[in-house]
Amino acid sequence: MAVRNDKIEDMPVVKDLKDFDQKSGNWLERLVFNSRKMVMIVCALVTLGLAWQATKLVFNASFEKMIPQSHPYIKNYLANKNELRGLGNSLRVVVENTKGDIFDPEYLEALKQINDELFLTPGVDRAWVKSLWTPAVRWTEVTEEGFQGGPVMGDDYDGSPKSMAQLKLNIARSGITGSLVANDFKSSMISVPLMETDPATGIRLDYSVLAKTLEKNIRSKQNDKIRIHIIGFAKLVGDLIDGLMQVITYFGAAALIAVIVIYLYTRCLRSTALVVLCSIIAVVWQLGIVATLGFELDPYSILVPFLVFAIGVSHGVQKMNGIMQDVGRGTHKLVAARYTFRRLFLAGMTALLADAVGFAVLMMIDIPVIRDLALTASIGVAVLIFTNLLLLPVFLSFTGVSLKAAKLTIQEENKENKGFGVGTIWVLLSRFAERRWATAAVTFSVLLAIIGFVISLNLKIGDLDPGAPELRRNSRYNKDNAYITKNYALSSDLFAIILRTPAEGCYKYQSLIEADRLASELQQVPGVQTTISLVNAVKQVTAGTYEGNPKWFTLSRNQDVLNYGGQQASVNNSDLFNGDSTVMPIIAYLSDHKAETLDRVVKVSEEFIKQHSTEDRKFMLAAGSAGIEAATNIVVKEANRTMMLYVYAAVIVLCFVTFRSWRAVVVAVLPLIVTSILCEALMVILGIGVKVATLPVIALGVGIGVDYALYLLSVQLAKQRQGETLVDAYRHAIQFTGKVVGLVGVTLAGGVVTWVFSPIKFQADMGILLTFMFIWNMVGALVLIPALSHFLLNTVKQPQHVPEHFHINAGSDAPTVDCRTCGN
Amino acid sequence: MYHRIKQIALTSALLASVVAICLAAGEPGFIDVLDTPAKKSSLVAKAHFNGIAVAGKRLVSVGQRGYIVYSDDQGATWVQASVPVSADLTAVSFPTPGKGWAVGHDGVVLNSTDGGATWSRQLDGHSLAKIIADYYGAHPSAGPDAARLQDELQQYVDKGPDKPLLDVWFENETNGYIVGAFNLIFRTVDGGKSWEPLLDRTDNPKRFHLYGIRPVGTDLYLCGEQGLALKLDRQTGRFRALTVPYNGTLFGITGKPGALIAHGLRGNVFRSADAGTTWKKVETGIPVGIICGTVMDDGRIVLVNQAGNLLVSADNGESFSQAKVEQPFSATSVAPLGDQTVMLAGPRGMRKQTLKQ
Repeated sequence: MAVRNDKIEDMPVVKDLKDFDQKSGNWLERLVFNSRKMVMIVCALVTLGLAWQATKLVFNASFEKMIPQSHPYIKNYLANKNELRGLGNSLRVVVENTKGDIFDPEYLEALKQINDELFLTPGVDRAWVKSLWTPAVRWTEVTEEGFQGGPVMGDDYDGSPKSMAQLKLNIARSGITGSLVANDFKSSMISVPLMETDPATGIRLDYSVLAKTLEKNIRSKQNDKIRIHIIGFAKLVGDLIDGLMQVITYFGAAALIAVIVIYLYTRCLRSTALVVLCSIIAVVWQLGIVATLGFELDPYSILVPFLVFAIGVSHGVQKMNGIMQDVGRGTHKLVAARYTFRRLFLAGMTALLADAVGFAVLMMIDIPVIRDLALTASIGVAVLIFTNLLLLPVFLSFTGVSLKAAKLTIQEENKENKGFGVGTIWVLLSRFAERRWATAAVTFSVLLAIIGFVISLNLKIGDLDPGAPELRRNSRYNKDNAYITKNYALSSDLFAIILRTPAEGCYKYQSLIEADRLASELQQVPGVQTTISLVNAVKQVTAGTYEGNPKWFTLSRNQDVLNYGGQQASVNNSDLFNGDSTVMPIIAYLSDHKAETLDRVVKVSEEFIKQHSTEDRKFMLAAGSAGIEAATNIVVKEANRTMMLYVYAAVIVLCFVTFRSWRAVVVAVLPLIVTSILCEALMVILGIGVKVATLPVIALGVGIGVDYALYLLSVQLAKQRQGETLVDAYRHAIQFTGKVVGLVGVTLAGGVVTWVFSPIKFQADMGILLTFMFIWNMVGALVLIPALSHFLLNTVKQPQHVPEHFHINAGSDAPTVDCRTCGN
Repeated sequence: MYHRIKQIALTSALLASVVAICLAAGEPGFIDVLDTPAKKSSLVAKAHFNGIAVAGKRLVSVGQRGYIVYSDDQGATWVQASVPVSADLTAVSFPTPGKGWAVGHDGVVLNSTDGGATWSRQLDGHSLAKIIADYYGAHPSAGPDAARLQDELQQYVDKGPDKPLLDVWFENETNGYIVGAFNLIFRTVDGGKSWEPLLDRTDNPKRFHLYGIRPVGTDLYLCGEQGLALKLDRQTGRFRALTVPYNGTLFGITGKPGALIAHGLRGNVFRSADAGTTWKKVETGIPVGIICGTVMDDGRIVLVNQAGNLLVSADNGESFSQAKVEQPFSATSVAPLGDQTVMLAGPRGMRKQTLKQ
């Protein structure tokens, strides 16, 4: 095949610059290297400019970007979002007395202070704040004279045992146990609705600022007696942004891993610094461009710099490999840099473009964060072409490398070729091309794949842990959430069906009856704890109007009674329907947000909608956290399948174009499939469901993972076509590319492994799975390619001609190199 | 508060009724609860139930969305009956083990001849209104305030089936009464084949809702809103007003000869030893509404309030004491099971409670 001149020795050693033909090389090489200083200045300026831009990057964790925008459920949700107040945005602050119950003057005083502090917090919709201390929280009682009532916390409260007894009685008759007061009376809740925009200034609420204020002003009131639990969308977003900030600091760790790996490989401080510098420049450019284009950094796209850095480092190290050998043989540093450029530019570019295939596939997923991830990653890869393929050789032409390290490289290589040092590993691996080892490896892999497949049958869709799945189970937020779920009646997994009617239509008799029918169906679905809608409130008001007689707990056919019920309901609870009574949610509280639970609810709802929805009484899915998750699950499940299909299709095409042999394609792709199966098994074992965050893992894992096979097989096939036996061909291939394969695997894994420590659960999941994919694909390639080759590629015909597109640098006097052999 | 509702309801009656009828009739894609059989529900035994009755050895309970359940094992398991409507049901009466009647909102009257397993419709709000119109059309001068009655009758017809029936009592398998909101009361003497309205034969000038109809001894009593208590005068056929010293709602009547008990809002209980002529308040100590009551086989009187407290009297209603219950269960209706246990039906389904002192 195309690798005809893959040995460094084939390029003449040029010790003195005067002996080098400055006009040699292609136009790009001449352009870049004959105006090196200009290139440096331009790059410096661009870097400064983009660094300045990058400082303006905004961090965000918008949930709307994590949901599939064009799914019909989400469209329904977005179209009615502003009308669904109850499902939106409120905080639940629970104040717990760890040393007693709520009937404790000291506790109530602390609660009052927290209540007042929250009341004054910017962004809080003061009119609707509810707690024991707000006068709007009332008890009512039907008496002979009609309704009687008052605030639960009486005006005459003075902390005396008498007023404590009064409070106890008022709580009992107000029916707030389970909602504002915990079932065990050890804590009480402050319900804090938020305003999306400040009505005075029109400025959008900054969740991150609010979350910080809460920690600073509210959580700080915690002591050994008073414990504070805070949950709610705004707090979650705040915590996610905090997590983002923390993950940024991991970049340092990733860089350190890279430094160690490169130094171990090159033993040269200068080259280590250069490679890291160029990769960091790539990251700066990427962030600068992303900021200039108006993107924000979210918990997904924050991962792109890590990937860009890792890919950059692996390319950089390959450059070093070449230049070390040139310099080690005595070639001048500028000439060595140009040689390296010649050898690797097109190869590297092709490899980078191939990586982009993985990202391109991600673009097909209809979830904004994934699209942003794909786009920003593509930008990063494009940037790498400039920084690591152009700029790095130019840098090297100025600095050169440590001569000592370079000479060491030559010595080591000689040793390896004789089968010593690292060479022992290559000898060992090449035995997999022999029958016994090949049979064992293939048998073992098949077994592993079967076991993996059986385990992977249990792969679940969606998030499996309770609480906020974005955060870790033992995060403070999820602990708070667990406490509140345990002690209060309603879960935080809400699945809402939206009912839309013409004006004043929500409390029409027919609307309410249909809503009640839906509620009755939903209640019977396993996993639904209860349902709440305007229906409950209207029935309650109606019964209340008739002296609390349970026989009047009904939807009266008399529209006046219903109108009155609706009015009364809206006084106490603005969330049940919107202002002009056109939109109301029917909310099912779920025991969890597992995919099966959501599937069941969706199925029953869809069936009901089919039978009962009319033009003037339109039932629509979906809203609420669980409703949105249901839609996301549906899209993710679909996307997971199609993406696998596309990624593998792309990889197969790429392999076929490169190898021109179906057998070789099978040899290259089978190890990837085994890894993909094992990755799914790993997800089952670790309790990770298929979700938005795991979609990119497969695409990146397979897309980048195929490179290993490309390096190894292209050399091996070339050697075989030159007439070598399989074992010899593979040994040559691994001697030549084994180090690169190992290095790429380690640097890529090093780039992503730090995510494992992220406080954001899905980032940690991505970190684990990507590290696994990168490493296991490497191992699979090194072991399975010789083994499978033994069975499929033992005899390779010598080609009649070399395909045109493998003639890289054709026409120049530089040696021709297969693009796949040296590139990433 | 109900004044306001009633006022609104009456003053805007004509307009509202026209609108209501148009809507009910012409709403596309909407199937009325009167035309929708009760759906089978896996959670039926935990639904909102309003009435319970003993049918021989069987218990039958009726509740929301047309749910009727019966149990042949003292409430351990419940089977959902087949019911032709899904209106909310309020009360049930079984004069014999086989034959029973259930009533509910939208003027629904259902009849079973197989001990409550299957039900058929005898009346609904539409036919009820027609009966009223036909009857008073043919008997224009029945009763003392005939002129005013005539006005109101038109409204019963106009407003459609929007009035609930709230209680039912059958003396035997032919004779029975149904009562409901706005002074609705009917009698049958042929097992529900035909019904005679008695709206003009109650001393209820303000048309208060009738909440309960029960015999105590040989007399038949009615009770309702604003301290309304009536007793059937068998000679004139009229329900005559009794004077209970109370202006709150009376939810029900129970007791035995010489111990007539009326119970109502906020723990109010009144007792009459002389068949309703004079009444005395009995202190219960718990200010929670008492919706239902019954007499045990051993003669003890049991009242159940909305908080699920069981109030038991062993002295013919002179005093009540609270029975200990592990889990209080709010009840709308109660049926005695022998001496020591009662079966409760309420907003959270059915529950058997034991009377421990």
